[in-house]
Amino acid sequence: MNDAQLMPPRQDEPECTPAVCVTDVICQFGRIRALNGLSLRVNRGTVVGIVGPNGAGKTTLIDVICGLIRPASGTVRLLGHDVAGDTTAWRARIGVLPQETALYDEVTAVQNLQFAAALYGVPNANDRIAAVLELVGLTKRARDVVRGFSGGMQRRLAIGRALLHDPPLLILDEPTVGVDVEARHQIWAHIRALRAGGRTVVLTTNYLDEADALCDRIAILREGVVVAEDTPAALEARTGRCLELSCSQENAAQLSAALGKHPSVLRSESVDFGVRLYLELAATPEEVVHAARNVCVVDGFRTRSADLVEVFRSLTGQGLSS
Amino acid sequence: MNRWSLLRASAALEAAQLARNRTFIALTALAAVSFLVMVSLFGLTGSFAPVALIDEDGGTLAREFVQSLDRAHHSFALKFMSKKAAVAALGSGRLVGIITLPAGFSNAIASGQTVPIDVRIDNVNVDLTNDVQRALPAAIVDFGVVHRFPGATVKMVEHDVLQHDTGYIPYLVVSALALDAMVIAGILGAMATAREWERGTIKMLRLSPASLIAVLAGKLIVTGAVAAAALALAVLVIVFGYGVVPRAPWATAFALLACVAIFTSLGAWLGALLKRTLAAVPLLFGMAMPLYIDSGALEPTRFDGETIWWLAHLSPVYYAVGVLEWAFHGIHVTPEPIYVDLLILTAFAAIAVILTLGRLARGKLR
Repeated sequence: MNDAQLMPPRQDEPECTPAVCVTDVICQFGRIRALNGLSLRVNRGTVVGIVGPNGAGKTTLIDVICGLIRPASGTVRLLGHDVAGDTTAWRARIGVLPQETALYDEVTAVQNLQFAAALYGVPNANDRIAAVLELVGLTKRARDVVRGFSGGMQRRLAIGRALLHDPPLLILDEPTVGVDVEARHQIWAHIRALRAGGRTVVLTTNYLDEADALCDRIAILREGVVVAEDTPAALEARTGRCLELSCSQENAAQLSAALGKHPSVLRSESVDFGVRLYLELAATPEEVVHAARNVCVVDGFRTRSADLVEVFRSLTGQGLSS
Repeated sequence: MNRWSLLRASAALEAAQLARNRTFIALTALAAVSFLVMVSLFGLTGSFAPVALIDEDGGTLAREFVQSLDRAHHSFALKFMSKKAAVAALGSGRLVGIITLPAGFSNAIASGQTVPIDVRIDNVNVDLTNDVQRALPAAIVDFGVVHRFPGATVKMVEHDVLQHDTGYIPYLVVSALALDAMVIAGILGAMATAREWERGTIKMLRLSPASLIAVLAGKLIVTGAVAAAALALAVLVIVFGYGVVPRAPWATAFALLACVAIFTSLGAWLGALLKRTLAAVPLLFGMAMPLYIDSGALEPTRFDGETIWWLAHLSPVYYAVGVLEWAFHGIHVTPEPIYVDLLILTAFAAIAVILTLGRLARGKLR
């Protein structure tokens, strides 16, 4: 993909207003409360990832942000405009990649983009379409019917369509779901290029490594609320330092129970090689290892930073793809 | 944002999608013709029910009675057969009935005696039984009048309202054009909207700042044009296949285009409401047949009783059939003048289009 073809960000909105500002949003579907007083702020020029287990409310949040679902209460402002107000003021300023790509698969890539260009009133549409196809690496397949595209190509075309009208804010709902590793990395490179070009990107993902690799900030959703929102490094720090102790399986349970009460230990869990402990950042691992050796024989130990999967598990109590 | 450019882009996209489905388009055109065939078969059904005639007499008066029977109104085909063959055919279901003129028929008639004519009927369908029951007395009266039998002093003197008769099948195929418009335009309209949900592209439309009126209008103009082309093919089949030439071609075209506008809009509504082609298409078929039957399609609806007739007024098909039968055959099947039928059809079309483009584009699609 070619970064050089990205247009410079538009400067026609006051920079002080956030790109996205969601405040106390409640969204209810029958008896299910999909968003439960959720608030989120996305600053301009940043890439923000929304992660959470299935059913956490990620896609509902995206639909609320895009104005597709009207919340029961709360406000959503995009680029300074109230989403519930005049829709024409902000719809032309956002580009959206829906989870299902939403392409007309019986026609060609160019025909899809021509229609999108008409929807957004893109000036010099043919030149812009050519530039976008080049950007997403589909120039050679421009006249091919979309039905014959791979999943990755369809995603790239959908991203191209979202970029066609040069929006300052991009909303990508699971941009790499269902694509192969190579296509995934192409899409990552492209999102990085968007950020380098000054765009604001809000993306949802099930892949924590993706969020870690791409996002300036990550919001973790659980049961319709943001349980944590920070930079990846700060979120990892919040979970604490990880200390792994090797011991026999017989001793692991005893060790886990004993050290779980230690003042420096935030959380402990038994693993196949022994025990994994999450320590307060200020704690001294050697002190904890010493305490462990008073309980049973410890074959070895190592310390490392917690990764995002561990952060996620500590905050949501659930596993997720990584 | 230029609405005209958007309308053209939307129409181009719909046309490109339909162009990728040429088989579907061909089948749509075929469906238009198949409805003509269907109503023709309906018209033919029961018109030539085989009835055996056994003439055991063979005299002059027996032959003249057979001629009277031929002149009488009925929907069966008389076949001279031997008694043995006729009985076997009736037993095997290849005959509806057997009429036997007994030996001595001519002599008995000539000497003024009453002659019983034996009739055996396979009364599997009472409609055919009734037909034989009506035809024989009519033939007997005709026979009596021809031979000036005493007592036969009353005869029918027919005065036709119209200067020409209209064959039943030519009547049916013309009204079938309204059925064609209903089904084909309806299905294409429903597909144009329902597929937006099936592909998920409705989300992109809803997210765009564009006028969905222009988008919807562009799509429906193309589907309407395809439906109109299919109807044009059906009209050509009626003209060159059935030999029925419209006396008022402009009224024909106007009525058909109004039907296309109405049913394209109705189809688009159903497609947006049900969001699935597989749900919308059977519903359209299901709705089409009652609307078609209760529209004067088989005979003028005013002959079907007050309730049915008033119900028919709620359907645009009633007015369309009124205009089409007049435009092709010069006959009035609605008591309303043709210009009233045309005006009401125009009003139906205008309301359908305005409601669909306005309400659907601002509500359901958004």
